Amino acid sequence: MNPFRLGLLRAAIELRQVLRSRKDFYSYLSTPLIFLAVAYWRAGGDKGQTTQLVPAGGVGSTIFMFGLMTVPQFLFGDREDGTLLRLRGVPGAMTAYLTGKTLFVLATMIASIAVLLLGGTALLGVGLPSSPTQWLTLCWVLLLGIAAVVPIGAAIGALLPAREALALYLMPVMGLIFVSGTFSPLRNLPTWLQDVASAFPLRWIAQGVRSALLPDAAKSYEPNGSWQHLATLGALTAWVLLGFLLAPRLLRRMAARESGSRLSEREQKRLTKAAY
Amino acid sequence: MTTTVRESAAADGGVHDLAVRTTGLRMRYGQRDVLDGLDLEIRRGELFGLLGPNGAGKSTTIEILEGYRRRSAGEVEVLGQDPERDDPSWRARIGIVLQSSRDHGRWRVGELLDHFAGYYAEPFDPAELLRTVGLSAQADQQTAKLSGGQRRRLDVAMGIIGRPELLFLDEPTTGFDPEARRDFHELIRGLRDVGGMTIVLTTHDMTEAQQLSDRIGILQAGRLTAVGTLDELAAAARARSEVRWTDHDGSPRRQLTADPSHAVWELHQQYGGPIPGLEVRRPTLEDTYLGMVSADLAESTANATATATATAIRTETP
Ligand SMILES: Nc1ncnc2c1ncn2[C@@H]1O[C@H](COP(=O)(O)OP(=O)(O)OP(=O)(O)O)[C@@H](O)[C@H]1O
Ligand SMILES: [Mg+2]
Repeated sequence: MNPFRLGLLRAAIELRQVLRSRKDFYSYLSTPLIFLAVAYWRAGGDKGQTTQLVPAGGVGSTIFMFGLMTVPQFLFGDREDGTLLRLRGVPGAMTAYLTGKTLFVLATMIASIAVLLLGGTALLGVGLPSSPTQWLTLCWVLLLGIAAVVPIGAAIGALLPAREALALYLMPVMGLIFVSGTFSPLRNLPTWLQDVASAFPLRWIAQGVRSALLPDAAKSYEPNGSWQHLATLGALTAWVLLGFLLAPRLLRRMAARESGSRLSEREQKRLTKAAY
Repeated sequence: MTTTVRESAAADGGVHDLAVRTTGLRMRYGQRDVLDGLDLEIRRGELFGLLGPNGAGKSTTIEILEGYRRRSAGEVEVLGQDPERDDPSWRARIGIVLQSSRDHGRWRVGELLDHFAGYYAEPFDPAELLRTVGLSAQADQQTAKLSGGQRRRLDVAMGIIGRPELLFLDEPTTGFDPEARRDFHELIRGLRDVGGMTIVLTTHDMTEAQQLSDRIGILQAGRLTAVGTLDELAAAARARSEVRWTDHDGSPRRQLTADPSHAVWELHQQYGGPIPGLEVRRPTLEDTYLGMVSADLAESTANATATATATAIRTETP
């Protein structure tokens, strides 16, 4: 069978696994729900513009978290348990795997964003773009944002050497979510922190999403009082290029380095640890 | 280069009779040569048993043949191709069962086998294969929830689902109960006899190796120290057969000999007819293997001979 079709099948099977497992289902649902809850709590009855920031920030954060936290964890897990090694021995299976994972991540990401946007509309009266131009903005920002983080996430997943490294990596990534203007306006932060955030894609994704969801007047909350679409386009494109440059190489290298004895070595370690 | 290889091989049956051929295969980890100039030939359609103590390099060898690991030096040809090229059409002809696995833990057993059948042109029927390895009842179970032996059986099924020409089995029966082991042996024999599959097997179970293998190679410290059929190995190791009989006074007697036929003939003369309670036990693979491996551990051959003699003497006096 065609590897891309098999990839589609893999995505369908793995999505079904999420739907079948109550725990998984709620953990996927929890991300958008937390953002909605925070927004609701911040609203405190009045529906000011800072309240509206949060669902928009939630959309950006969702993309960021899926791309840079979930994807590396998937890849790390599949490497650690020998899934990738198994696939390497089967013709076309690596292509199917990458296709499947991409589709899976896209589907879960889009579902989370939909929950956020629809929930935002229902609960807070914000959420959906109000003009065709804003819809268009939302589309390109989401697409570019996803393309900016998913390959980078895959590259990082391929690089992470051990579980400890994964934990160590996740902390600063979490930190970035709080300094990228997702929960409160970016301009309230010190300039140097703004600069740090600007080096990463989340700040730009979040700003782009805000420009698509909030009324035009809200741009006065942005660091220099404008939506900065051009800068967003530039920064995200740079990340997209970097990701597509790095990910295939690192993935290939990772696959080539995996072997059965490395696997049993890790297995041994895991068992020894579990014994203590 | 290739032509010379072909010509020289043609003399003893042709290169096409070989599924695997390595010359001077070397694998180095850091400063240590785990494989030290390994020359190995595995014929098409045979079941080759690769034996050797822990850490001898069996898995390393197999992984190089599978294309999972880059060798440091030497030539390797598997199904007529260098495994490092790793192209999909070659992959489709190879089946792999690794020494341990817990991949696809969240997938259901049946679903997983069905899915993997999809990657091959002429796979076995997944449901039937599941029945063959005795996992039909577990078809809807998550693979992470299988017992160790059940998981191993699933691994075997995954390895053969694509109807490979060449199957690598790295300690496939660890954790099998006796019945599962017997079924597995039947399955493997069937694959070789009916399907014409070439099978390379590593195991620490000497009975298993003896029952299944057409030829056996013993890997020690990165070299093949012996290759051949069971009888050839026994001869090379000068392993002795055991002849037992009952003496006139009813006491059991036994004798270790390299030539049991001659010993029995002599006893015949001695008894002038049938020998009471006659029993001849050929050396088992385990005898041969232990003889070879422990002989190699001893520093010199002299030592080894002494040990062998000591063993012989010990068993001769009941
Ligand atoms: N990636 C690696 N890096 C360094 N040394 C390694 C690596 N893989 C294997 N080795 C070493 O190479 C030697 C051979 O290992 P291998 O796994 O091939 O042995 P084996 O014959 O399969 O043993 P067992 O019977 O225990 O499965 C061992 O000493 C092992 O420690
Ligand atoms: Mg091994």
